[in-house]
Amino acid sequence: MSNIVLEAENLCKFWGGLKALDEFSIKFYDKQIHSIVGPNGAGKSTLLNLLSGAYQATHGVIIYNGKPITSAKSYEFCRSGIGRSFQKTNIFHTQTCLENCCIAAQQQIGGSFKFFQNRNQNKFIIKAALSALEKVGLTERAKTKASQISYGEQRQLEIAMVLATNPKVILLDEPMAGMGHEESQTIVKLLMTLKSQYCIVLVEHDMEAVFELSDLMTVMVDGQHLITDSVDNIRSNPLVQDAYLGNDDEVF
Amino acid sequence: MSIFTNKSEKLFIFFFFAIGLVIPLFLADNVFYINKISSMIIIAIFVMSLDYLVGRSGLITLGHAMFYGIGGYIFTIIAPEYETVNFWIYTFYVMSISAFVALIVGFIVLRTSGIYMIMITLALSQMCFYYFADSVDYGGFDGLFIYIKPETSIFGFNFLDLNNESHFYYLCLLSLFNCFVFFKVLMKSSFGRVIDALKENPERATALGYNIFHFRLIAYVIASSLAAYAGYLFALQYGFVNPSMMSWEVSATALVMALLGGLGSIYGAILGAFAYEGLHYVLEHVTQYWMFFMGCLIILMVLTLKNGLSGLLSNLVGDKENE
Repeated sequence: MSNIVLEAENLCKFWGGLKALDEFSIKFYDKQIHSIVGPNGAGKSTLLNLLSGAYQATHGVIIYNGKPITSAKSYEFCRSGIGRSFQKTNIFHTQTCLENCCIAAQQQIGGSFKFFQNRNQNKFIIKAALSALEKVGLTERAKTKASQISYGEQRQLEIAMVLATNPKVILLDEPMAGMGHEESQTIVKLLMTLKSQYCIVLVEHDMEAVFELSDLMTVMVDGQHLITDSVDNIRSNPLVQDAYLGNDDEVF
Repeated sequence: MSIFTNKSEKLFIFFFFAIGLVIPLFLADNVFYINKISSMIIIAIFVMSLDYLVGRSGLITLGHAMFYGIGGYIFTIIAPEYETVNFWIYTFYVMSISAFVALIVGFIVLRTSGIYMIMITLALSQMCFYYFADSVDYGGFDGLFIYIKPETSIFGFNFLDLNNESHFYYLCLLSLFNCFVFFKVLMKSSFGRVIDALKENPERATALGYNIFHFRLIAYVIASSLAAYAGYLFALQYGFVNPSMMSWEVSATALVMALLGGLGSIYGAILGAFAYEGLHYVLEHVTQYWMFFMGCLIILMVLTLKNGLSGLLSNLVGDKENE
């Protein structure tokens, strides 16, 4: 098995008395897609927000490449190589797709404190942005404003922006939310190709896609870790069926 | 690489500065108008710096006049009273000191945003206002006088005599042009890219690894020191400073001018300042109830013009995209 990139130990997040995440431990391996599933309110998004630095953990440790980064500032997570996408499309609508990716790439490549150099002068930034757009298949949209592309394409752009930051770990928060079948197939194919280069953490409600993509799956219930196993074992696990998949009256 | 974003801007800047260069030739014997236009240009510089803050960086402040006043006061306080000093050296002093003040103030106010930032900038500028209004050393409400205007020699060459109205006018015009070019270059730079990003979506900019506080602080310091420069010019023009320069009405009026010109367009600041001051001047001579008509006109303009006067100009010229 490949090496551990990102690790959480006894991670807790309390909102007042509510335990959104309770003593949660998990390991993410390089070059794998690790899906996290669970009913609404299970704490999946909370976990992603903790892993990406958007929230501060109540207690517990996050270890990245062998070093604890729990107390790092939220912007330092991205700099160290943990990129994330958002559940609600979160892009720069008034800018072109290329510019969106340039904003993302510039942080890694540098030059943000150059006051008198034209922003398009740094060819490395443009190159990195274009290659990110190419990976998700949006090359043709480079000059189009982000507000004018379709919803599915905006979701792709969202991923392209994460890729442009040159991450090691990609945290994807429901990349297929609100998408039709065909559109989600594009994302599935995209994630398949990305798997060989990145450690991908996927939170997703589309079970078909999750089963198709995942190397490992974690099921969460009520902020607690239920089980982590391969897809086939999860499918046949009675505990999981009981908690999440099995009941007909379950509402996602 | 052109610094202009669209055709209307190019046209406006070209005509404005072309007319600006020749107008003193026609007004040679009418010092009043030259002084009037100089003061409008100074206000335009001030509004431009505010426009960069509010329109480009998304930091809404009601305390920008504090730096306008500070700029004037710093010069009056640090310059020896009965001695001719060099204009350029004191420009450097005034701007560095006010940049330092802005750094400290920015450190406090930028911890907040939105309505809270408006309140805290207002509070700080009012503190500053009353400090100078109550201080015996700095002349209280009457302020301080500048007895001798600085000279402007560079390496022994003296081009401009600040006691001459036309010369002072050209100094203001040059300053305005430099400010405009400076802000445009800044907007197009890599730094400008981050400023654009964090104005539109600060949350995402943080997620992409930017420490938005640093960028906001730099934008704040830049805009504030240019506001101080405008205040310094104001002090030189009239030969005095007083606390009313930093009253909140000055900030609010500047905000109205920036809105009128079109927020975030930079050159709109010139349009806004000239439209507002021009209207003010005209209406003042027509009726004593000029404020009433002025208010009505501004409400009308804000309601009908979506992107202010610069947006109107853009539509007239037929720009494809007003961004």
